This record gives sequence, structure tokens and C-alpha cells, in this order.
Amino acid sequence: MTPAFEALVQQLKRLPGLGYRSAERLALHLLVERPGRLPELIDALQVAASTIIRCPECGNLSEGGPCSLCADEARDASRLCFVEHVPDLLAIERSGAYRGFYHVLHGKLSPINQVGPEHLNLAGLDARLERMQPAEIILALPNDIEGEATCHYLKETHFDALISVTRIGFGLPSGGGVLYADAVTLKSALEGRRAYH
Amino acid sequence: MKLQAIALENFRNIALQEVRPKGCGVFFLGPNGQGKTNLLEALAYASILRSFRGGGPDALIRHGEKEAALRLELDHEVLGRTEVGIRIRPGGRSATCDGEPVRRLGEMLGRFPTVVLASGDILLVRGGPALRRRFLDLVLSSADHGYLAALQRYHRCLQERNAWLKGDRPRPGDAVAAAFEAQLIPAALAVTRKRKAGLVRLEASLGPLHLRFSPGVGPVGLRFLPDVAAETEEAYRELLEKSFERDRILRATRRGPHRDDFAFEIDGRPADEIASEGQQRGLVVALRFAELACLREATGIIPLILADDVLGELDPRRRALFWENLPGEAQVLATGTALPEGGLPAGHRLFEVREGRFEPANG
Repeated sequence: MTPAFEALVQQLKRLPGLGYRSAERLALHLLVERPGRLPELIDALQVAASTIIRCPECGNLSEGGPCSLCADEARDASRLCFVEHVPDLLAIERSGAYRGFYHVLHGKLSPINQVGPEHLNLAGLDARLERMQPAEIILALPNDIEGEATCHYLKETHFDALISVTRIGFGLPSGGGVLYADAVTLKSALEGRRAYH
Repeated sequence: MKLQAIALENFRNIALQEVRPKGCGVFFLGPNGQGKTNLLEALAYASILRSFRGGGPDALIRHGEKEAALRLELDHEVLGRTEVGIRIRPGGRSATCDGEPVRRLGEMLGRFPTVVLASGDILLVRGGPALRRRFLDLVLSSADHGYLAALQRYHRCLQERNAWLKGDRPRPGDAVAAAFEAQLIPAALAVTRKRKAGLVRLEASLGPLHLRFSPGVGPVGLRFLPDVAAETEEAYRELLEKSFERDRILRATRRGPHRDDFAFEIDGRPADEIASEGQQRGLVVALRFAELACLREATGIIPLILADDVLGELDPRRRALFWENLPGEAQVLATGTALPEGGLPAGHRLFEVREGRFEPANG
């Protein structure tokens, strides 16, 4: 293959979820099978790169100013939900179960991966909490060591002792039985049980 | 648990073999380097998903091949007739149980227990603490998944804390360190508590077994030597604070269960100093039988006994005691370069092993 083709494959391979074969397939698709799509893709990438920013309020995707969620006055301002990444926010939105606001951290604490508090979206957090005065903070971070450490750090350094802080539940998937659940999931499900009415 | 059949493909020097034990025991006879230990290693691999000889998956794949595969048919106390499949590729492995993929490999621990007796076992008495921790971790993880979870949490927290200590100017009382220590401390206390209780259970089984292998020598004890004596979260946190300056200089957490140890004692004195060679060898065989008793009690499953040429190292009296004291219902798969003096125990099958091939020799 040509050096330019190889350079393109190398760039695509750096994207999450793509190995060498997938990157090569995409490059061939764009250059040989559907070359007509290439200008549209380049255009979309350029427009997105020049207009999409992080929402200055919550860290979600936005095109200048607050994102569509932060600008929505119909949302419940008494609740603020912390998530690790934008796809987590989108997943909760798709569920339709939550109508409050979000705060996207864009990571979780992990000294192994060289992620410290300065790498998380925390710069304007104290001022935002002061403005919002939420009645409840929901921590929807993963329940691994790093997710739990991030929750602990946030509570100790940013949350007023008077705010109610909750952690989302971890356990069995809906429609699933206990039979095929692994031991760690079952332990979480038993620990997170609640009164049955 | 009884092994009905094991099939091996491209595992070490074994190209393709199926072995059907049919009975309460099997003896694999052959010169050294023919593949006897490889078969026991494969059985233990299906149990703990790692090699009892150490080393990664790459060493297990036959030279020039891309992957190794194992298939076991077992009569299991809980699951009934069960088929276990293992695939080993460079850098990874996967398992199936009755065709269903096993999502968390940790779930396999304790489900198909084996007890391995190998010539290196004597190092448990006289070798370094890492070997004894590995032994204890494997037994307790197989007997109690809560232990495995606590141990994994502890080690992950420890790695994060050590990475923090290696970072830019760690300070005492830092909120990031505190966030990881808040999880490290309960995990460390759980690991220590479970190790202490586990050693008490092992010791209770070991005492009478050891007397059979070394009459008149004893009593035998397993003395836990925890690196941290703290029993409360506050006391542990204080210890971390006190050790901080040294941890910062060493750029690693010095104190904790990752430095625990335990000692074998006879009459309250260190067994590695006062016990003879034969007594030490008898002691580790008794320890393996105690391991079997603990696993059986915790899981309700009788482990397979995999005896890798250990009989050659025992004196004739202890060799006879090994066969006499085998738990009746347990299936034993043993290897050796010569047959036991008294012949094979009743019901045992004999396989001759040459160049990775296993041929039944007594019908």
C-alpha cells in the first residue's frame, strides 16, 4: 500500500475500538468503495471540530453556550447527577428515568493512569453548586475502585455536608434472574436490597 | 468430583490425547520429560486457570501452534455430569462450562477444586513468604469468593496508592490518597481477618494428619504472622499516616497484607529449623490433605488429588502412609518413574507415558 494510505490507517487505528483490520477496512471503504462520501465526512468533521465545545456548565457537548440540557428550564433543578463520560449521560437520558441536571467529569481518579483531580471537570464545580443549591446529588460513577475513590473525593472536597448525596444502585439487570448472575453482581444486589411494599 | 475424561490439544508436548481414568485412581508411569506432569498441569489449570509451575499462557501452547485447548468431563457433586472447556491463547485464556462462556474467570475458582502435591511443596516450609501467601490465597479464594473479592480490591487499591506515591510531590493527608485508602483499609482488614480464620481451620485439619505422617512428633501449628496487627480502620489509618514518610521515600506502600506470612511450628518451634527432611516432606503432604479437607468443607466438592512425582521423594514408610491416608472418596491422579513398591492400590488404572502419548497398560 502507499505511505498516505498507511498514514490514514494509523490515524484511524488510534480511535477507540478500532484495531488494524477495522481501520484498514474503513480506509478502503472511504477511498475505494465509497469515495463520494469522503468530502461529506471531511466537512462534518471540520464543522464539528470548529463548533462543538464542552458545555461550560456541565461538560456535556454543546455548540457555544450552555448545552441543550442545561438550557432546558423544564428540568428538575433540585437534582444533579455526576457521570464519568458523555455516553453515560446519553444512556441515562435514553432511559427517561431522570429529569434533573448533569455534571460530566470526563474521567475518574486513577494515579495508575495519571488522572488526578486537575484532569477532571471540576474547575467551575463549586460555583455551580453554589448557584444551583441542589437538594440531592446522585453519583452515577462506576462501582470499581476508581469510581468509588472519585465519589469519596467529591464528597470530601466539594459537597456541603448538608446536601443529600446518593449512589446509584448496582445489581441484577431488569428481566434477569439470580441464576445466571455472577457472585460480585449478586453481592451488590443483596447489599442494595430495599424494603418491599 | 471425579474425572471421567480429559482431552488435550497442543498443550505443552501433547499434540492430541484423550485420557479416560475410569476408576478411583490413575497412575501415570514413564521416564522424565515424557508429559506426565503436563497432564496434571492441564487438570490443575482447569481448576485455577494458571499453571502450578508458574509462567504465562504462552509456555503452555505447543511449540509452533497458535492455541492450546482442554476439555474435561467431570462427575460433579453439585453440577452433575459437566463439561469444562478451556482455550489458551498467547496472552489470554477463556473458559466454558457446559458450553456457556464463563464471564468472570474468578468464578471458576473453587468450582472444580484440585489439590496438587508437587516436589516444590517443601519450599512452603523452608522457602520465602511469597510462596506461602500464594498457597493461602489460592486455598482461601477457592473456598470463599468473598476472600478473592477483598484480595483483588486490596491489590488494586495498593497499585493506585503506589502510583500516587510515585507521582508529583505526594503530601500527607492528600484527598486523592484518602479516597483510595478509604477502600484499601477495609479490604486489607478483611483479607487479614479471613487469612487468620483460614489458618485456624487449616491447622485444625493438619494436626491429626501430621501425627499420622510423623507419629510422636508434634503438635504442629500454623502461626499467622500478619504484617499489620491493626484490627480497626482507625488503627490502620494511623499506621498508614505513621509510615507515610518512609513510603514517600521508597515510593511504595511498605506495610500491609502484601507482606503477611505464616510459619510452620512443631512444639512451638520453627519447623524449618527443627524438623528433619523426612518430617518436613511428611508435613507438606499432610498440609495438602488438610487443604483438601478445607476445600471439601467449604464447597461440598471433593477435590481431585494430583500427585506429581512426590512419592519418589518420601521414605518408604511415608509413601505407604500416603496411600493409606488418601481420603476414600477422592480420585487420585499420580505420576512416577516407577510403580509404588506395594503395587497399585485396588481399582487404580495404569497408563504408560511416552513422548506425549498416554497408553492404558492394565486394561
